[in-house]
Amino acid sequence: MNPSNPPQAGEYGGDEVSAIVLDPGYSTTRAGFAGEDAPKSLIPTYYGKYNADGQEKLIYGDDIFVTPRPGLSIHNPIGKDGIVEDWDMAEKVWEYSFTSRLTGAKASNPLHNGLNDISNEELPTDMEVESDEKPLADSPLLMTEAGWNPVKAREKTIEIAMEKWGTPAFYLARNGVLAAFAAGKASALVVDIGASNISITPVHDGMILKRGVQHSPLGGDYISSQIRALFKKNSPQPITITPHYLISSKTAVEAGQPPQAKYKTFPADKAPDATYRALLEERTLSEFKECVVQVWPGPNKLSATGPTGVSNEEMARSSPGRPFEFPDGYNQLFGADRFRVVESLFDAKAAIPDPDSIFPAPTQAQTLPELIKASLGGVDVDIRPHLLNNVVVTGASSLLYGFTDRLNHELMQLFPGPRVRISAPGNTAERRFGSWIGGSILASLGTFHQMWISKKEYDEHGANIVEKRCK
Amino acid sequence: MGRRPTTGRGRKAAAAARAAPIYPDRQLTKMPPFKDEHILLIAPGSQMTLAQLGLPETFTPARFRFPTRMFPAQKEGEYEPYRIRERRNEVKISNGNGAPKETPKEDVEMKDAEFAGQDGAANKPEGEGADGAEKPQETTQVIEEVLYEEDVTTEEGAVYPIQDGRIVDWPCFYALLTHIYNALSPPFHTPILMIAQPVWSARDREAITQFIFEKFKVPGFSLIDSALAACYGYGVQTATVIDVGKSKVDVTAVTDFAVNEHGRGIALQGCGGDAMTDRLLELLGPRGFTREMCEQLKRSNITEIVPPGTPLPGAAATARQGSNPATAATTGVDGNDSAPRGPGEGTQTGTETNGEEDEGVLDVAAIVSGNTTEYLANMEKDKSAKKGSAADPRSKLPNNKKEKAAFQFEEFVPMEEESAAGGAKRYTRHNREIEVGVERFLLTSPSQQTGDRLSSGILEDIATQVHHTILAVPDATKRSELWDSLIIVGCGSKVRGFTQALLGVITQKFILSPSATIFTSEIPSTFSTPLPTGGTNTPALMGQGQPGPMYHPAAHGVNPLLVAATHNNPGMMPGTPGMDPNVASQHYRSSGHSQTPTSAKTLRLPEYFPDFKDQGNSNAPGASAGPSGASQGGHGTEEACFLGAQMAAKVFFVLDQGLTKGYMSRVEYNDNGPSAIHEFTL
Repeated sequence: MNPSNPPQAGEYGGDEVSAIVLDPGYSTTRAGFAGEDAPKSLIPTYYGKYNADGQEKLIYGDDIFVTPRPGLSIHNPIGKDGIVEDWDMAEKVWEYSFTSRLTGAKASNPLHNGLNDISNEELPTDMEVESDEKPLADSPLLMTEAGWNPVKAREKTIEIAMEKWGTPAFYLARNGVLAAFAAGKASALVVDIGASNISITPVHDGMILKRGVQHSPLGGDYISSQIRALFKKNSPQPITITPHYLISSKTAVEAGQPPQAKYKTFPADKAPDATYRALLEERTLSEFKECVVQVWPGPNKLSATGPTGVSNEEMARSSPGRPFEFPDGYNQLFGADRFRVVESLFDAKAAIPDPDSIFPAPTQAQTLPELIKASLGGVDVDIRPHLLNNVVVTGASSLLYGFTDRLNHELMQLFPGPRVRISAPGNTAERRFGSWIGGSILASLGTFHQMWISKKEYDEHGANIVEKRCK
Repeated sequence: MGRRPTTGRGRKAAAAARAAPIYPDRQLTKMPPFKDEHILLIAPGSQMTLAQLGLPETFTPARFRFPTRMFPAQKEGEYEPYRIRERRNEVKISNGNGAPKETPKEDVEMKDAEFAGQDGAANKPEGEGADGAEKPQETTQVIEEVLYEEDVTTEEGAVYPIQDGRIVDWPCFYALLTHIYNALSPPFHTPILMIAQPVWSARDREAITQFIFEKFKVPGFSLIDSALAACYGYGVQTATVIDVGKSKVDVTAVTDFAVNEHGRGIALQGCGGDAMTDRLLELLGPRGFTREMCEQLKRSNITEIVPPGTPLPGAAATARQGSNPATAATTGVDGNDSAPRGPGEGTQTGTETNGEEDEGVLDVAAIVSGNTTEYLANMEKDKSAKKGSAADPRSKLPNNKKEKAAFQFEEFVPMEEESAAGGAKRYTRHNREIEVGVERFLLTSPSQQTGDRLSSGILEDIATQVHHTILAVPDATKRSELWDSLIIVGCGSKVRGFTQALLGVITQKFILSPSATIFTSEIPSTFSTPLPTGGTNTPALMGQGQPGPMYHPAAHGVNPLLVAATHNNPGMMPGTPGMDPNVASQHYRSSGHSQTPTSAKTLRLPEYFPDFKDQGNSNAPGASAGPSGASQGGHGTEEACFLGAQMAAKVFFVLDQGLTKGYMSRVEYNDNGPSAIHEFTL
C-alpha cells in the first residue's frame, strides 16, 4: 500500500488503511470499505450447489439467479433465526462477498502472481511483504451480528476472521447499534424488518440494552408466504408462479385469462432442484412486493372501522387496484388483497391461513406493536420516552409502501403519552443497508481505533476476548 | 519486462529537465492544464487492447490495437510482444497494420520509437472495425536484427494476461502496459486514462494505479468504468450497458452517471463471441471445419443472427440437426487463383511486397482518402462481375434468405520459393472460398454440450441478466428508462443481427402485455408522489376519482388508444440524452411503482462522430449480399466505450483540470497512496 518513496509517518498511516465492513444477513450479505456510503459488494447469502463432471461445485453471488445449472440446489448457511448454522459455508459465502469485488480472489492477488519476483527496483517490493495467502491480511474487519447472537457464534466468528482470513484487527458490532449510528443517533429504538426476522433493539448511548431485544420471524419471507397463500386462494383460479427460467416465450393475454406461454422442460436428471425454483419465485415475489403490496396506512387495523363509519376494508377496496404480470404472462389486478398480505405484521388475526406454509400462524406476541411494547417493557422507564422519540426504521422489508405510516399510527395508539418520532431514511440504499452504513461510519472514526481487537490480543486471550471487548 | 531503450526516452528526459523547475512542489490547488495531444488512453480487453495517444479534433476509433497477449521472453519472467523465432535472418518486416480488434492473427507491430513518432501516419482512421475493411498499411521496414525473426503464423506459447476481463497474469499484464507505453512513447507530461473492466476488484485497481504511477511516473491517472465510458460515448446519463466481449458479457445499469454495483452482471461467462464460435464449431466441426475457420465464418458477412421465430431458408428443419448433406462444406476455387481477390487480404507478410497481383492489392490511398465502404463495395462488385458464372439469380437474395453462402477463408501458407534473404521461411496469406449452409444462422442457438449450464443460448442468458440487473436497481422509477436505453457494445455484438435478436428475446420473455400495464401509472391522479417516509397523502384517499371500471379489467376491452399510449410513452426520442419521458407518468403513480418493462429499445449513437458511424453491427463492410448488408450501419458502434473515454479524458484532464476529482494527480498519489484512487475513479 505504500508508494515507492515512503511518506512520513505522520502523513498517512493507519487511518488510511480502509477497514472492510461485513454485514451478513439472512437474505443478502453486504461488504464494502469503511468510509464509503454504500457497500460495494452485495451478494445473496444463498449459494448454489450442483454436480458437474462428477464433482460438487458451488456457486455464489448473483450468478445463482441468472444461469440455471443441472441439479442445482440452493442453500443458506444461516438459520431462520439469523444465527449461522453451517459455519464452513458461511465462511465461504462471506469470503466471496469481499474477495469478489474488494480484495480480489486469492488467485489473482497481485502479490502472489510474481509481481514481487521481478527484480526491478522501480517496483516497490516492500508492499505488504508480510502478507501470506490469507485474503484479509491487510484489512481490519468489522463484522455485524444480530443482537441475540450466542457467545459460541461470536467466538467462532472471530476465530474465522483471525485464523482463516488473517485479519490484523477485528471488531464485532450489533447491527441494531450500527443502524442507530447510521441514522446519526447514539440512543434509539431500532426497528429492523429483515428477510427472516423482524427485530427491535433498544440502544442507549451506543450500547445495546440486551433485555429489551426482541425478535420474531415475521420478516420478508413471512410476507412472501402470505402472498403465496393469497395466490392459492385466488379466484377465478389459483395463481402459480412460474419463474422466468422455465419459460421460453410468453404471449400477451388479457387480465385474468390463463397464461399462454411456451414452457421449457429439462430432463429429469438435469432439472434444477425445487429450492432453486423457490429462490427464483422469491424474485418474482419481491417484484410483487415492490409493485403491488401496500401496508394499510392506518389509523387502526384493516379490519377496524374508520372514523367515517366505513370499514377500512371497504376503503381499501375502493382504492385503485394494482396490476401485476407474472413471468408466464398471466396478469391480474390486485385490489384490497394487496393490503391483506402484510396486515398480519400488525394484527395476527388478519393472517391468511395456509396449512402448507412453513410459517406457523403468527401469534399476537410476534406482531410488531407487541414486540415494541415488550422491548420497551424490558428497559428502564426513564429512557422510554427518549427511545420513542428516536425510532429508527431499517431493513429492506420496511420499504413496503405505507409501512412507516402504519408504524407511526400504531405507536401513537400504543403510547399516547410521549412524543413518537420515526426516523426512516427515504433513500432506498440507506434503508436497506442501515447497519452496514453504521459500520462504515464507525470503522472510519479515528476514535474507533482503540476498539479494534488486534491479532496480538487475540493470540493472547483467545476467542473469548470478543465477549469482553465487543459488548 | 521486455523494455527496450527508445529514442523517446531521450526526449522524455529532456522534457523532464525542462519541466522540473517549473513545478517545484506544486500543491494540489491547481494542476497545470494538460494538452489534448498528450493524453494517453488505454482500454485493455481480453482480446485486444486499444490505445491512443492524444485526442484528435473529432474523436475517432482507437488508433492502435494491440493484441492482449505477450510471449515469454528468453529470460524468465519477461515478456516480448512478438513471437520470436530464432533464425539466421537479417531482415524483419513491420507492417504497421491496424488490425481490427477481432483478428487474432494480426499483430500490431510498431517499431517503437520510429512509429510512434510519426503522428501523421497514424492519423489515418485505421481498421474500420470489421475484417474486410482492414487496410493493410504496408510500412515495410528493414531492421538490423540478426538471428531473430518474428513468427506471425502462430500464437503458440502466448500468454493472455486478461481472461474473461480478469487480470490473471499480472507480470504479463504489466509487460503489456509497458510495451504499449513504450510503443506510443508519450511525452513526459502525459496523463493516462484507462478503461477499467467491471470485474476488476478494488485491489486490482489499486495495483494498476500503483504500477502506472511508479513505473511511468505519470502526472495524472484515472480509471473509468467501461460501462460509464459507454454512457459518455452515447451522451446519456441513464442506460443499461451490455458489453459483449470475447468470452464474457457485462451487464451494467447506469443511473445518473452512477454505476449500480448491486445486481450488476459481471463477467457472465460463456456468453461472449467465443461462445458463438464454439457453437459454430460444434455444428460444423464434423464437417471438417477448424476453429479458425469458424472464427472467420463468424466474422464474415454471411453470418447472421436471425430474430427468434424467423424461419431459416431452405431445409431448415434438417439443418438444425446439422445433418443436411447439401450444406457440406466445399472448398472453393484453388487457392492461388483466389488468394489475392478477397477484400483486405492483400497484405503479404513476406519480405517483399511486390509479389502480388494488382487486383488483389487494395489501394490504401484510395481507402484513406475516400469513402471506404464505397470503395470496398466497388471492389466487391468488380470481383463478382469477374466471376461471371456465379451470378445466378439467387445471389440477388438477401443473405438471410439464401440457403447457402460462401465466405473467404484466409490462412497462412508457407511460401515455396526461396527468398532473397535466404533461409527465412515466409508465409503468404492465402484465401479460399468456403461455402456453408444455414448453420451460419445458428450461432446463438443452444449448444449441445452445455457443460454445466442449462443454457438456452447466449441471448437468453444475456436477456435474463439484463432483467436481473435492471430489477436490482433500487430506484424503481428509473427501471423503465433503463429498459428503453439499452447500449450494446463490445465486439461480440458485431455479428449481424445481434441487437435485433437480443431485443427479440427480451420481448418474448420479459415485455409486459398491455393489459398488465394499462391500469397503472398512466392514469393521472391529482396527488403527487408520496414520500417513502410517509407523507400526508394517504393512499386511502386516492382513486376516488376513478372507481368502477378500473377495478374490473377483465370486464372491459382494452382501449386501443391507451394501449398506444402505454407503448409509446417511453423513449419517444431515442437517443435524446437526459430526457425521461416517464417523468410525467411516474410522478402520478398511485402507489409503489409499476412493473417494467413495457418496452425495450436500444439507443442510437449521436451522429456527430462520423468515424463511429458505419461500424456497428455488420460483420464486414462491403458486404456482398446486397441490401441487408448496406443498411446495417444505423446502430451504434461496438467501441463506444473508447469514444466515451476520449470524452471523459477531455473533461477530466483538459476542461476541468481536476476540479471534479476526475483524475488522481501525482501529488495526491504521493500523499495518499494507491488506495486513494477510489476517490477519483468513476
